[in-house]
Amino acid sequence: MIVIAEKLNGSIPSCAKAIAAKDDAYLKDIAAKEAAANATFIDACASVKDGELETLKWMIDAIQAATDTPISVDSPDVNVCIEAMKYVVSKGGKPGLFNSVSGEGNKIDVAFPILASEDYKKWDVMALLCDDTGIPKTAADRIRVFDAVMAKAAQYGIADKRIHIDPLIEMLCTTDDGEGISMVLEVMRHIKETHPQVHISGAVSNISFNLPARKLVNQAFVVLAINAGMDSGVLDPLSQDLMGVIYAAEAMIGLDDFCAEYTSAYREGIFGVKKA
Amino acid sequence: MATLQDVAAAVEAGKVKLIEGITQEALDSGVPAEAILNDGMIAAMGVVGAKFQANEIFVPEMLVAAKTMKKGVEILKPHLAGDSVGKNGKYIIGTVAGDLHDIGKNLVALMIESAGFEVIDLGVDVPAEKFVEAIKANPDCKVVGASALLTTTMDSLKNTVKVIIDAGCKSQVKIMVGGAPITQAFADEIGADAYTPDAGAAAVKAVELLSK
Repeated sequence: MIVIAEKLNGSIPSCAKAIAAKDDAYLKDIAAKEAAANATFIDACASVKDGELETLKWMIDAIQAATDTPISVDSPDVNVCIEAMKYVVSKGGKPGLFNSVSGEGNKIDVAFPILASEDYKKWDVMALLCDDTGIPKTAADRIRVFDAVMAKAAQYGIADKRIHIDPLIEMLCTTDDGEGISMVLEVMRHIKETHPQVHISGAVSNISFNLPARKLVNQAFVVLAINAGMDSGVLDPLSQDLMGVIYAAEAMIGLDDFCAEYTSAYREGIFGVKKA
Repeated sequence: MATLQDVAAAVEAGKVKLIEGITQEALDSGVPAEAILNDGMIAAMGVVGAKFQANEIFVPEMLVAAKTMKKGVEILKPHLAGDSVGKNGKYIIGTVAGDLHDIGKNLVALMIESAGFEVIDLGVDVPAEKFVEAIKANPDCKVVGASALLTTTMDSLKNTVKVIIDAGCKSQVKIMVGGAPITQAFADEIGADAYTPDAGAAAVKAVELLSK
């Protein structure tokens, strides 16, 4: 599982407080913990109304001071993502994740040429399956957006393996009768079958929004999603039970020969550590 | 035979499969349709909203109660005078331009409807001008709700409120705002009449605004 660690996000109240107070010690501490918990990317999302890019740059400075784990530059504004990506590179950071584009407006046509250029060709990119028609309600419509994204990727020369698709995980508690998560799983299976190199991602904890004991819902979701092809996710690597469930589920579908990843992650203390 | 209390209890508990039968029984036993709607269903949804605000029930429980009421109303409709459904008038709702999120907005719309409004849902990514058009086309609409879920679309919400006010609609409607990044302070700053943090509170506030 490609873990995009989610805790440095201004839409989380404790992080918003740290951002408002310019408390970089808080950010460094979280970034170091996420890196130690096997995060593949440390996501940085300012989620502030004014001065988003400046805030994001400040967050990048703090993260880079704490770890060399690649950064996911996260904004709904592609121009902010582009500037943040350039900033990471200018500061000597490793290639990270451009988070994100979607079928909306000209986002892809702005971002993909830059991602295809020599300086940024090792960066991955997250694409959300929404477009100018909104957040599609059916699997067929989300797949239509996926096909449009992949056509653009081919046009600009973005390799499948650099692409993470967020099929848009929505809260379980308001899904229609008998629907559950079947629609989003159908989208995942389609991507896996047609483009096996494309990473299937998404914001895991969205699934449990507005429900009690959210951690259990998140864990059940990752098992089903991994079985449908999910191999990347925006999630909390400090949640030991979630990480353990992910490693276990991956071993069960044959992605972890002799459970080597599972056992070594256990030995590293990623999960299964008894609380003192 | 079913009573008003049975209808209210069924709505409150979200008995979506039983509501049609219970509503029909109440009608058959002589309870007036208007009473079933107002004193049974709308009153029950008031209790549901209050329980949600008090963290006693969860979103899906509130959702299923509203859906239950909606089904019951279908049974009542032939027995109601033309304008009894939506006795509180019309409520125009939409997610602002640039924002595609609709789950929260839909939930608010459902709760508003349960509080006795006829909801006109403009959908997502709604240009400010479209809100104005809808308000002017519906002179009996007294409350409007606009939602923004992203920090990047808060300015769009601000603009929406401004355009509605500049178009001179404030003499007709009160403006409610909501969405994850929105706060009371922001609502005050942009000149909205009300902010509510959740769908239950929104339904209560909408009714309250009618008498202001």
